[in-house]
Amino acid sequence: MAFVKTTPSMARKAPLSEGTLLGWLRLNLFASVFNSILTVFVLFIIFFTVKALWIWGIADAVWVADTRRECFNININGACWAGIIAWLDGIFYGRYPRDELWRINLGGIMLFIWMAPLWLPRVQGKILVGLSTVALYPFLAGYLFAGGDKGVFMQIMVTAAIVALAANIANAAIGFFINGNLPDFIIRSIRQNEAPEARQRNILLAILAALFIAVFVWQMNWTVEVVSWTRWGGLFLTFVIAGIGIASALPGGILLALGRRSKLTVIRVLSTSFIEVFRSVPLITVLFMATTMFPLFMPEGFVLNKLVQVIIAVCLFNACYLAETVRAGLQAIPNGQYEGAHTIGLGYWKTMGLIIMPQALKHMIPNIVGSFIGLLKDTTLVSIIGLFDVLTILRSISKDGPWLGLHQEALVFGAMLFFVLCFAMSKYSRHLEAKLSTGHKN
Amino acid sequence: MKLTVLLTSAAAVAAMVFTGAAPALAESTLDIVKKRGHVRCQVGPASPGYYFLTAKGEWRGLDVSVCRAVAAAIFGDTSKLEIQSVSSQARFTSLANGDSDLLSRTATWTMSRDTQLGIDFTYPTFYDGQGFTVPKNSGIKSGMDLKGAKVCVTTGTTTESNLIDFSRTNNLNISVVTFEDYNVRDETYLQGGCDAVTGDKSSMAGNISAFPVPSDHMILPDTLSKEPLSPAVRHGDNQWADLVRWTQFVMIGAEEMGVTSANVDDMRANSKDPAIRRMLGVEGNLQKGLGLNKDWAYNIIKLVGNYGENYERFMGKGKEGIGIPREGSLNALWTKGGLMYSPPMR
Repeated sequence: MAFVKTTPSMARKAPLSEGTLLGWLRLNLFASVFNSILTVFVLFIIFFTVKALWIWGIADAVWVADTRRECFNININGACWAGIIAWLDGIFYGRYPRDELWRINLGGIMLFIWMAPLWLPRVQGKILVGLSTVALYPFLAGYLFAGGDKGVFMQIMVTAAIVALAANIANAAIGFFINGNLPDFIIRSIRQNEAPEARQRNILLAILAALFIAVFVWQMNWTVEVVSWTRWGGLFLTFVIAGIGIASALPGGILLALGRRSKLTVIRVLSTSFIEVFRSVPLITVLFMATTMFPLFMPEGFVLNKLVQVIIAVCLFNACYLAETVRAGLQAIPNGQYEGAHTIGLGYWKTMGLIIMPQALKHMIPNIVGSFIGLLKDTTLVSIIGLFDVLTILRSISKDGPWLGLHQEALVFGAMLFFVLCFAMSKYSRHLEAKLSTGHKN
Repeated sequence: MKLTVLLTSAAAVAAMVFTGAAPALAESTLDIVKKRGHVRCQVGPASPGYYFLTAKGEWRGLDVSVCRAVAAAIFGDTSKLEIQSVSSQARFTSLANGDSDLLSRTATWTMSRDTQLGIDFTYPTFYDGQGFTVPKNSGIKSGMDLKGAKVCVTTGTTTESNLIDFSRTNNLNISVVTFEDYNVRDETYLQGGCDAVTGDKSSMAGNISAFPVPSDHMILPDTLSKEPLSPAVRHGDNQWADLVRWTQFVMIGAEEMGVTSANVDDMRANSKDPAIRRMLGVEGNLQKGLGLNKDWAYNIIKLVGNYGENYERFMGKGKEGIGIPREGSLNALWTKGGLMYSPPMR
């Protein structure tokens, strides 16, 4: 029939508002008179802000000078980044002895190596890797940073940590390059894969014990110089406090949240009151109490380690905040999930560990990461009690003879530093959400 | 039973705290310090000239030199020292509760502090006084010209109340603009947010030296208050107070007698002056009452230097210094019209 077109008609050109820059501008920025005025106004503001920042921070800035006065002599209107550059070691490491900085760097590299397997594909035993990071790495790093005499306990923990790190690296390499895990690999390479399970286990334990003893003997003679915690500072100190806080606040928060929802009255009341007390007192009050009131109760000349006090305070605080976040996540899980778990015969811990928590925590990732970002920024409060975190160091620059009065540049640098850290955390949280998403968004 | 014990001890502790009784000193501070192996010396959050961090992470400054001198006197080693940086709210508590052995941080020696806080001041390291900074071209020549002016001041200090008193007594009707951070205060002043800045003259001189064009500003001759800045020790341990005080006197006396860190070895070997010989431990037994070694004063001068050297380095014109002239000020030696005076060492 003649009505039916047998050839496709020509594609029409897209309307101007689609696809062209002009169209986009029209649609988004100049859709109405009011919008146009707003756009011009905002552009105007952005232009002047960015221009001023550019001139101050880049175009007129001085990068090489010995004193602030020299900066002024070169260009009086620009930022004096030379001072920040001269202070970089101080900003990152605080008052840590400059000959011992390798210890902090090594500690950081070890943490990276330790955790890298978590992000590598095909590596097995990731839960063990994560657990050992929280349980063993702090001892190795702690000794590396503080130094001095190792007690017997510390010797054992350091040895365990070194063995765990070695096993972790080997396991990751095997998993990444040839598939499988470390125990299987050992058993196969000594041709015992046909042997009974008990024998295999004994062989592995023997290897572990031999390795442990060898490392133990070696580390007995390995000591590093004492560096008092009073010399810790800068971004390093911020990371130590925030790192320990983050690593311990989440487990603590989960336990407290479960405690608060427990059917056992004692546990519920204890958890609830603990959470409520710590959430109703400002962190700064507790920090003050701990450092100025505590020595009055202590024997003469007894000085508590302020850093430990601060870390404990930060951990308890954030555990309480996270407990409420986790509890919110738990509330969101429908009853059917619990009932389902019960029907297939799971007990309390298995129900929580396998069914409820994975869902609850996944829902709460944005809030949990939000708490972590808050924690990182809260660490700047420790300056009040005389610890030299990164912000205190930045503020000290303006009081150092050669750089007298250099405070704007320092604060701008600090803002950029914190932005980078917090933005990275936020980005990682988005990535985790996407990765863990099971597709039923509601 | 246990609860009773707990309650009783809690009550005892509370009673001790609230009656303000200091814990009984079983040992002298010097013994504690010697046993511990280092001196714990308290400073504040960095303050230019007096105590500040360098890029290498070391504490330096005029007040830090007193700490170092005490460590040198006791141990002959300035590294046997822990510098504690304590906020100004906690400074006297921290000294009184035994956290610090010594406080050396621009604390003004006032009667109430000396008599009521359980601390003793030793001897001023610096005589300061509150004054005004104004732009040179403003036409203001004295404090009396500040009628109706806007004056910037940092809050929470006696500076603010001194300013209000000054304004009231002289009927000046000054409006006060307060700031938390002196850097922001100066920034506001430089951008014309106020007609003058008030603060301690020494620190203002330091701040002016950091202005883009220092020669555009000047400090008015008026002095609103007396601020003798002195180290302090816990009340009740006189030997320790003597030790700190005489450490300071050695630094001042050495300058008087022309002994410097550069020539002290030569002086000890060759000087005929009995005063110098006594001070450096060549003859006599001056160190006896302090419980120190004979070379205590030698160590102070050799390792830290005399008062003048330290003044030049941190308050004077050097690279690290903040550029406060010493000539004709109260901080000159008494022989040059100042107040720095050491009792005779004999």
